[in-house]
Amino acid sequence: MQNTAMQSSEASVDVLVIDDEESIREGCRQVLATAGYLTEVAEDGILGLQVAERSRPPVVLLDLRMPGISGIEVLEKLRGMDPQIVPIVITGYGSVDNAVQSMKLGAFDFVSKPFDPASLLAVVNRAIERHKELQQPPARIEPRPEIRPAERVEEPDVLLKGLETLGQSYSLGMEGYTLPEQVQSLEQEAEYHAKQLGTIQKKGRAIADLLADLRMVDEIVQKHGFKRNALIQVMLDVQMKKHWLPRHTLMWTSRRLNVPAARVYEIASFYEAFSLVPQGAHTVQVCEGTACHVRGAPQLASTISALLGIKNGETDSRLLFTLKEVHCVGCCAVAPVVKIDGTCHGSPSMKQLTNILRSLEAKEQVRSCQGSTHQAN
Amino acid sequence: MPRLNSPGELIELRRKLSASREAKRLRVSVCSRGASCSAAKGSELADALAKEIARQHMGNQVEVSRGGCFGLCQRGPIVLIRPGNICYVGVKPEDAAEIVGETLRQGRPVERRFFEDARGQRRTLEEIPFYKHQQRLLLDGNTLVDPQEIDDYIAIGGYQALAKVLFEMEPPALIEMIKRSGLRGRGGGGFLAGVKWETTRNAPGDKKYVIVNGDEGDPGAYMDRSLMEGNPHSILEGLIIGAYAIGAHEGFFYVRQEYPVATENILIALKQARDYGLLGKDILGSGFGVDVTLHRGAGAFVSGESSALMAAIEGKVGQPRLKYVHTSVSGLWDRPSNLNNVETWANVPFIVNNGVDWFRGMGTDGSKGTKIFSLVGKVLNTGLVEVPMGITLRDIVYKIGGGIRDGKKFKAIQTGGPSGGFLPESLLDLKVDFDELTRAGSMMGSGGMIVMDESDCMVDAARYYVDFLAHESCGQCIPCREGLRQMLKVLNNIVAGKGREGDVDLLEELCELMESASMCALGQTAHNPVMSALKHFRWEFDAHIREKRCPALVCRDLIYYEIDLQKCPGCGLCRKECPTEAILGKQKGPHVIDQDKCVKCGNCLTVCPKKINAVVKLPGKPRLRPAEQVATAAL
Repeated sequence: MQNTAMQSSEASVDVLVIDDEESIREGCRQVLATAGYLTEVAEDGILGLQVAERSRPPVVLLDLRMPGISGIEVLEKLRGMDPQIVPIVITGYGSVDNAVQSMKLGAFDFVSKPFDPASLLAVVNRAIERHKELQQPPARIEPRPEIRPAERVEEPDVLLKGLETLGQSYSLGMEGYTLPEQVQSLEQEAEYHAKQLGTIQKKGRAIADLLADLRMVDEIVQKHGFKRNALIQVMLDVQMKKHWLPRHTLMWTSRRLNVPAARVYEIASFYEAFSLVPQGAHTVQVCEGTACHVRGAPQLASTISALLGIKNGETDSRLLFTLKEVHCVGCCAVAPVVKIDGTCHGSPSMKQLTNILRSLEAKEQVRSCQGSTHQAN
Repeated sequence: MPRLNSPGELIELRRKLSASREAKRLRVSVCSRGASCSAAKGSELADALAKEIARQHMGNQVEVSRGGCFGLCQRGPIVLIRPGNICYVGVKPEDAAEIVGETLRQGRPVERRFFEDARGQRRTLEEIPFYKHQQRLLLDGNTLVDPQEIDDYIAIGGYQALAKVLFEMEPPALIEMIKRSGLRGRGGGGFLAGVKWETTRNAPGDKKYVIVNGDEGDPGAYMDRSLMEGNPHSILEGLIIGAYAIGAHEGFFYVRQEYPVATENILIALKQARDYGLLGKDILGSGFGVDVTLHRGAGAFVSGESSALMAAIEGKVGQPRLKYVHTSVSGLWDRPSNLNNVETWANVPFIVNNGVDWFRGMGTDGSKGTKIFSLVGKVLNTGLVEVPMGITLRDIVYKIGGGIRDGKKFKAIQTGGPSGGFLPESLLDLKVDFDELTRAGSMMGSGGMIVMDESDCMVDAARYYVDFLAHESCGQCIPCREGLRQMLKVLNNIVAGKGREGDVDLLEELCELMESASMCALGQTAHNPVMSALKHFRWEFDAHIREKRCPALVCRDLIYYEIDLQKCPGCGLCRKECPTEAILGKQKGPHVIDQDKCVKCGNCLTVCPKKINAVVKLPGKPRLRPAEQVATAAL
């Protein structure tokens, strides 16, 4: 185990805490010790920089507001001293501007006071991982001239972070920040999103939803290696997860892949697979392939349309069913075919159809009774 | 999985696999991964059989294999027991215990699950007429392998052709072989595959691509689906061989996203092939390497065209371009790219293994080998059929398909999808090959074959294809975009009873214009359905236009439904089946149809018992009889 001495010249230091409040310094030290991290502390920026120079800690926890030189200055100096040091910023509650600025200056993440031990540890763990990554030479990737990966822009990460704080503030009823311009544009997206959903009152909730979507897009984009030619594949994955393509996911895809938004919309509107309006929880596809057509697909379509009370391409007001006439699902031998949520039903009778649709309806009712709100997905 | 580092290791693996398979007495193949059969609980059936075999302690004697589509989709799910090729059709999960106990254990048949037709029971696959007249070269693999098990494919000799070309053939000799075999593109164009390969090989540029076109967009066709779902390795092996011949080190597998099972199976196949060292760098220790990426299409018919498909892989909108320069010379990212259809690639290993003469032994002068068709529509046995080129349409429809359903009369067969045409009874003796079909005003296309009977309206069918194409036209060039829109308008008028004299002339003029002025094949061949319908079924157009009558009683605006009050016993079946509650009447009293509410879905006609036959479909506008007036007024 690590020894408890505050200063150790032999064992290498894991984390340096620079804060003017003793309670914070001591608190951090104790929390980090539980995870086996060796901590050094400093009570102002000048001292902190001296310690950093001497012991080169992998991670620095840094208060932004301190007497003497400010945290922002320390941050700049730290980056100049050793780019492999991973700085984490400690901020007073809700100071979004500072947080965003420090992220731009290269802070890895930030924690807001007061913080709980678990989240502090989580952030420090990630920072240590990041430090290890920085120490390794970057993996050599065979360059493929024609599939240029979009440069990974740091800016969206900053935006995500800012947005997260904003969402937290909203959910606590705090409003009225002067927001950096780009966070503003996303906030507008969130408001639009809130309006579209209609059911959600709080902007905080809308932002949380939006954030989850953006993170999902990030994951998908990463899975496809940030390749621009994977645009259609990325959009297919988003469509599969959300059942439609909300505006913010498209804008985010465009930003992440460095593809013009016009291109993204061009593709979204060209291909059958994409939908720009919310879809029902269940998709009912009536196959209009030739084999189905000659074996009564039009009749089947009008039966189903009458049963659901919606026309081709429409979604009912409860967002339960979307009716689509599609061209050939490739199940021609048992025509006419209706595909409900991915399962083909060959030549279904009125009774079978009613049963399937009713059971799906009942399932949704159970779900909504259980309290989970249904949000178009 | 150990990596295979030489052809010897592949042969050794095959030997081991075959030995372990021969150790089991019986092999039961279940069609459980095909779309129709999985809809009919094929997967549950396979589970039930496996469970039952384990319960009866027969696991060491019997192997269960979950296969892709076996072809006879109409009667699925199908169970095939080898040796002997004993074939059960329409098997249910409840039958598992009996099949295991009787057939597998005792060798006694379960008679009620044999295929049965007018001439009696058929016990083995070969006895069933549907299979008897086919030549199942590519499709046979579907009954032999589990598509998610590369070992199954290797055990039946898979990847031997690849080993052979890598170590025994130089690329030019291989190209010469494919050229001499006369293999033509199965996607519809019918271009000689070997010539295409050669162009790509000789095109300048160090980086080249090979592509599988699995964007099967033709409505009414699912041949490629069954191969991709049922035997993906056969396509992949062909692709790798092609890459070696052409000198490409990167390949793409383009699959439409409507086929999730195909996507899944291909991804598994790619991974397994990579693990064995049959894909990726230094294949089988030969020094040659190629890797393949899967690309899902997002649903656009026109993206199946080669230049459009390549644009889609580049992440762009899948629109075709003018092909002054062929994609073989300048395709994907402006590099030489060779694209072939799924079925074309799947033929390649067979040619390598069995030789040119063997392949040339099948088919006609201009078209060699076999072709898979999706035989659907009004034929008795629907499904996938593989036949040698040169077989007549009549043989396909009557010998394999078993003739027309419900004793109706044959009217037309449509081949080639939206780019093909309708062929009437007088052309049934036509030999099926690329050139004959084109001469007759249709085309081979990718292999859709939709049979229509006397209750189908050819005007409506032509309108159907034009509607499809108008929806799928990318809109870049005016002849196609506007031509289709105008044609659709005219045809919509005709089926609605608003046709005018001169409409047919206008259609002919539009057809001619589109054929000569459109940019890609979609527009250039869009006239085929309309022109062939006009050529062979002109009288039907005339009936719609002049008499406002649909002779086949299909066009909704020209028909209505009525209940014969004399015959109706008031059983109420039709009332319950009506989705719009348009049928009025009390139990045991006569029923009437409220024509204002009726959406003409025809459910009432379908459910009215045949021996009563009270519901009738009539031409013209509904006449309101006194009974209806009373009933409607009462509400």
